[in-house]
Amino acid sequence: MVKTKMQKSFAIGLTAVMALSLAACGNSDNKSNEGAATNAPKSTDSGNTATATTDSGKKVTITFQNIYPDPATPAYKMIHELTNQYMKEHPNVKIELDTLNTDQQKVKLKTQAASKEVPDITIVNPAAQMKPFVDAGLFAPLNDMLDQDGLKDTYQEGLLDYYSFDNNVYALPDGNNIEVVYYNKELFEQAGIKNTPTTFEELLQDVKILKDKGITPMAIGEKDSWTGSFLFMNILLRTNGGPGFLKDVLDGKKTFEDPAFVEAVDAFQQLVQAGAFPDGATSIDANAGGNIFKTGKAAMWSIGSWETGAIDASSVAGKVGAFQFPTVNGKGDPNEFMLAPGSAFAVSANSEHLQETKDFLHFFASEYPKKQFELKNAVGIGQKVDGDLKAAGYSDLAVNIAGLFNQVKGGDLAFDNTMNPATAQVHLSSIQNLFVQKVDSAAVAKEHQTAFEANKE
Amino acid sequence: MKVLKVPARTIAVFVLPCLLLYVCLVFVPIIVSVYTGLLKWDGLTASTFIGLGNFKDMFFNDPVFWPSVRRTLLYAVASMIEIPLCLFMAILLNRYLRKGNTLVSIYFTPVILSVVIIGQLWKTVYNPTSMGGMLNGVLVSLGLDSWTHNWLTEPKIAMFALYFVSLWQYFGYHLLIQYTGVQNIPDELYEAAKIDGADGFKADRYITLPLIVPIFKISIVLAFIGSLQAFDLVMVMTGGGPAHATDVISTHMYTSSFGSFKYGYGSAIATFLVVVCLVFTGFINTIFNRIERKFN
Repeated sequence: MVKTKMQKSFAIGLTAVMALSLAACGNSDNKSNEGAATNAPKSTDSGNTATATTDSGKKVTITFQNIYPDPATPAYKMIHELTNQYMKEHPNVKIELDTLNTDQQKVKLKTQAASKEVPDITIVNPAAQMKPFVDAGLFAPLNDMLDQDGLKDTYQEGLLDYYSFDNNVYALPDGNNIEVVYYNKELFEQAGIKNTPTTFEELLQDVKILKDKGITPMAIGEKDSWTGSFLFMNILLRTNGGPGFLKDVLDGKKTFEDPAFVEAVDAFQQLVQAGAFPDGATSIDANAGGNIFKTGKAAMWSIGSWETGAIDASSVAGKVGAFQFPTVNGKGDPNEFMLAPGSAFAVSANSEHLQETKDFLHFFASEYPKKQFELKNAVGIGQKVDGDLKAAGYSDLAVNIAGLFNQVKGGDLAFDNTMNPATAQVHLSSIQNLFVQKVDSAAVAKEHQTAFEANKE
Repeated sequence: MKVLKVPARTIAVFVLPCLLLYVCLVFVPIIVSVYTGLLKWDGLTASTFIGLGNFKDMFFNDPVFWPSVRRTLLYAVASMIEIPLCLFMAILLNRYLRKGNTLVSIYFTPVILSVVIIGQLWKTVYNPTSMGGMLNGVLVSLGLDSWTHNWLTEPKIAMFALYFVSLWQYFGYHLLIQYTGVQNIPDELYEAAKIDGADGFKADRYITLPLIVPIFKISIVLAFIGSLQAFDLVMVMTGGGPAHATDVISTHMYTSSFGSFKYGYGSAIATFLVVVCLVFTGFINTIFNRIERKFN
């Protein structure tokens, strides 16, 4: 019988294939099960740090993953001009930009990290969001590099703490921002609103007036649910009478079912019910949400001050002002802000040319503030800038925002920079839900608490 | 009939490269992901083995999981209901049109377009009135203001809006398969039937249907498996939102793995998906085997 013979040889063939392929793909089963890699180089490893001028002369290619994809923005010009300048001065170094938008980059980095193939330079978010990566030993400490040429002192006081674990700095931030409410002066005038709101009640009133006039009161792109969360957290910062709510929850001093949290949910729902947000807000992504404001179709936009440069480059330039988030039910201090230490540049611990990468990043971070200043994008960067904004031709809005920075008395970080990722996901969708249906605020609080307890470290 | 005797070694030479690739790229990852599903792992740091813990969480403590399974299955049912429609259409095209091919090609165009483009296109159709959504615009101009909705953001209807887009996109694909199947049935059979007095739909009942069963099965299986894996369209149009209202199994798997950093849990969901696929494919095969036997 041919058949049996064939079956036999087929079976043998199959086992051979299985064995071969297991050998071939066995390596794909990554070794992260062996626990956090403890091979993160000690900061003393590189001892005598070669300055950028003494190049070893060998050809290296540095991969620079970044989140500046839009050619219309100053940030895009910044990264291209700086990398080109460096390559001109160091002919042996090639810098490859891996440019993605924020969400794509997050996922890509996560996938790369799972197989321990982090690009030479990548972008991470501060505190809780970068902790898992640091715990996994994926990033190189940058202390030695920061000590070179006083780079460390160019950063604002205390900013690097958000990127530090066990006294090692693992990333250099591209900014340090606060949440403000941008408003379109022209639309406020049209609606007959004279003053910007200083209390939540006034804000609700203004929302109703604008709505009646057929103007979208507040722009938002809630498909990317961090936007709604950012606004909600600002309300919580008020109802809690000051910063530290999430920290208290983490320390076990409070729960999410605390009255301050429930009150914040209620206030947020009032805003939704009053019709503050565009129809179908949850299907609009963050960029499109911002464009509603930047094209003059919405009167207000509560977002981080990093948008200042982009607003000045848009069609509503010159018509925009900014105000502090109002008090809620008489609580809170307008000089306390949602703080947004920026996304940051981290270096892969397993980079094949760690020294060259660090040298480049040192150059990049040193030149960064000057370049941003030159490109009229220095508002909200994390490094000290010498120079008079007004004299340099910055807009009134930029000068105004820079003034607000000087009033900052403290504040909170965004939810996902404070809580672990799993709890943050539940929070984000819980807040997103408030946009589409009325929910009992006690239930929202309970949902948060349940998730928090289920995902405790 | 002479059976061509091919030595096993020759067969192996032809089969092995593909088999090797298949095992490496499909089989091994499935095994790895089943194993990963037994871990509590964030994808980055140390993992702990927790046995069936993830599955327990999935079945009993995850408020998002069962609704997403329900949506996925509903999606599968909807896409299978479409197939008989395609068949009916194919029969009509075949009988009454000499140039059926052109029409079928036109129906086929949405299949060629990338899902991302389709998603963006339909987003503009579904947009709220204030953003100039076409569907609402048409309703308003017909005086049906009360019928307007925020199609993609009302939790109760968003999923159906997505189902519709998907059915619209794949209609042409299944139509093409069925149409080809119908065309391949020899005309002599119909002529013979005519002489015997079976015409029109009677002929369809006794000739077309029994002969089209294998082709019909292909479409059903493709539609079913395709809808279980639905991911791209949901991601582009709603991202699973608002608040998980349009989450299907695959998007839930994605957000668990990459959003919540629960890699192990995401793998457990993937394992579940693989099992569901296998079970249902087996189930569909059994049913069709019976049908085929009945007709023979």
